[in-house]
Amino acid sequence: MTAAVILTASSAAALELPEIHGFAEADAAVKLDSGNTKHDDYNLMEQRIQLKSTAFISGDNYLAEKGGIFNFKGDFTVDEYFGGKTGFELRELNLGLTPLDIVDVKAGRQVLTWGTGDYLFINDLFPKDYVSFFAGRDDEYLKKPSDALRVSVYPSWGNLDAVVMAFAPNTTAAGDRLTFFDPLQGGIAGRESERKLLEPARQADNLEYALRYYRNIGSHELALYYFRGFDKNPTSFKSISERQLFYRRLDVYGWSLRGPVAGGIGNAEFGCARSREDTDGTDRLIENSQLKVLAGYSKDLGNDLKIGVQYQFEKRLDYAAYTAALLPGDLLLDEYRHLVTQRITKQFLNQTLTLSLFNFYSPSDKDGYIRPVASYDWTDQWKVTLGANIPWGDDDYTEFGQMKENKNIYVRVRYSF
Amino acid sequence: MLKKITGFGLAVLLAGVPLAGAEPTVDEIITKANSVAYYAGDDGLADVTMTITDAQGRERVREFRILRYDVADQGEQKFFVYFHKPADVAKMTYMVWKHPGADDDRWLYLPALDLVKRIAASDKRSSFVGSHFVYEDVSGRNIDDDVHTLEATDDTYYKMKNIPKDPKGLEFAYYFIWIDKTTFLPMKAEYYDERGEMIRTITALETAEVQGHPTVLKSEVKDLQRNGRTLMEFSGVRYDVGLKDDIFAERYLRRAPVQWIR
Repeated sequence: MTAAVILTASSAAALELPEIHGFAEADAAVKLDSGNTKHDDYNLMEQRIQLKSTAFISGDNYLAEKGGIFNFKGDFTVDEYFGGKTGFELRELNLGLTPLDIVDVKAGRQVLTWGTGDYLFINDLFPKDYVSFFAGRDDEYLKKPSDALRVSVYPSWGNLDAVVMAFAPNTTAAGDRLTFFDPLQGGIAGRESERKLLEPARQADNLEYALRYYRNIGSHELALYYFRGFDKNPTSFKSISERQLFYRRLDVYGWSLRGPVAGGIGNAEFGCARSREDTDGTDRLIENSQLKVLAGYSKDLGNDLKIGVQYQFEKRLDYAAYTAALLPGDLLLDEYRHLVTQRITKQFLNQTLTLSLFNFYSPSDKDGYIRPVASYDWTDQWKVTLGANIPWGDDDYTEFGQMKENKNIYVRVRYSF
Repeated sequence: MLKKITGFGLAVLLAGVPLAGAEPTVDEIITKANSVAYYAGDDGLADVTMTITDAQGRERVREFRILRYDVADQGEQKFFVYFHKPADVAKMTYMVWKHPGADDDRWLYLPALDLVKRIAASDKRSSFVGSHFVYEDVSGRNIDDDVHTLEATDDTYYKMKNIPKDPKGLEFAYYFIWIDKTTFLPMKAEYYDERGEMIRTITALETAEVQGHPTVLKSEVKDLQRNGRTLMEFSGVRYDVGLKDDIFAERYLRRAPVQWIR
């Protein structure tokens, strides 16, 4: 695949087109539960081809001098769930540069991640795709790309990341593929859901900002975070009668610490989300401010066996104001939430067969989500993955309980090149 | 120390001490071999191809570039591993801060998720990227973890017997290493279980002198219990290229330093 192709006519700016990699994949998921979605018996069936490439800019020009790199990654998809609908998803198209020795810049569409949680995100307010997560696509698709400018500065006293990005919402269950709790329907809803989700207008004062300062202290990593933007989930109401939900303005600040503890890796993370349009918690239509604390530990037990556990505590702030503002018939949400997760991964056959089990469990919400996965690298090119998504819960309105009609078993076959 | 075989470290110090006629002590042999195998120059880089063959004869190939920087000779080291193949791990990056005598610090960068993972490193005997080499083979087993004795010597080799001080969690009970008397490169290692059965071998198949450093260019590990083997081949080996301590950080984990990976 190596083809040193000169793309441009001018010799001043040349792009070496190096390698193109990617994969072709087919997947399908059998539904284990009924639910009023588009199809009764399955909730995933698609084929995709992903292509990705990195091109170093060469020649006698500023971009080449500053280590310019173009990154591209895109997925061509055929979604049998929606009648064979074809699509193209641009996941990355960005330019990386090092304009100064201590500054890196990445501009364009890119995937952004930070924070220390495993499937739990406190200070990572970058967009996610929970439909992919619950339907059984690869973990890669949990992260949605952002259209962003990222500037990273590396002075002697630490490292600073500053991101400016356009708002992109999380992709969450909307009733067509996955059922969910729709407060406007008063229960778990599928295709009957008629919510209108109002996204912030694309204008300068709706840009989002994310900052991270981090540094190593010996083998430990300390990070401080600040985010100013919007809730990525439509948790708040603009108008109940108009069935309008919206993405409230949010400030989040927090910290994290990660490093070796007792032969494993320990992590702790804290975040406070301030609900800017309901700072005192008195608006019953807008979700309150919230605190989240996470503690985690993972360890390699040898013989390709790894375990991880996490505990997350969440507190809805201004709870008295919130309860006082509720009207009869309103759903009463809890003040506290406790969540534990556990991950076990064991590999066999020279790490070609991987069995893993990830489990969410909330004793306060009385719900959970079990994710068993088995994957086998048949060859360096062929990989088969078999897994299940088993959300459950006593109530219909909790985070995992609302997903309980979406239990499935999926299979994915991927050919990488 | 047999890691040296696989080890990318190579060494130098031949210049240092001409062992004037007298046979070196066990400590001298071990220390020098460790230096030759893992600490050649102040830094180094190489392209590595690993061909993993399982008991059924199926092959898998891993290609990566490895960068090494010695914070202190015979002491702390830092490594980058940039994967090229297989395709599903291309651009994945792995960083290690090796602390002899303590747990290493390890990070893994998954570009598809833009995720920097911290990896627990307490088990140094687990497979390196699915091969039959273990982490310790690649970065070097701490010489203080074993009791070394000179088992035999002939015109060509010092045959060292090495017994772990703490056998807990190890798949072997002891191992022998054949160290070349001229270059001090470890040329062969044999691992035995507690019943005295040979379970694993590592053999240097090809060596050369690179910039004055004796260097293993090809080595093979065999798993005699499960009949698998991995061939590791080094190309483009260079020493003293001028790597700096400060590139071994999250910045270059996320964004490979172009000048060192092209």
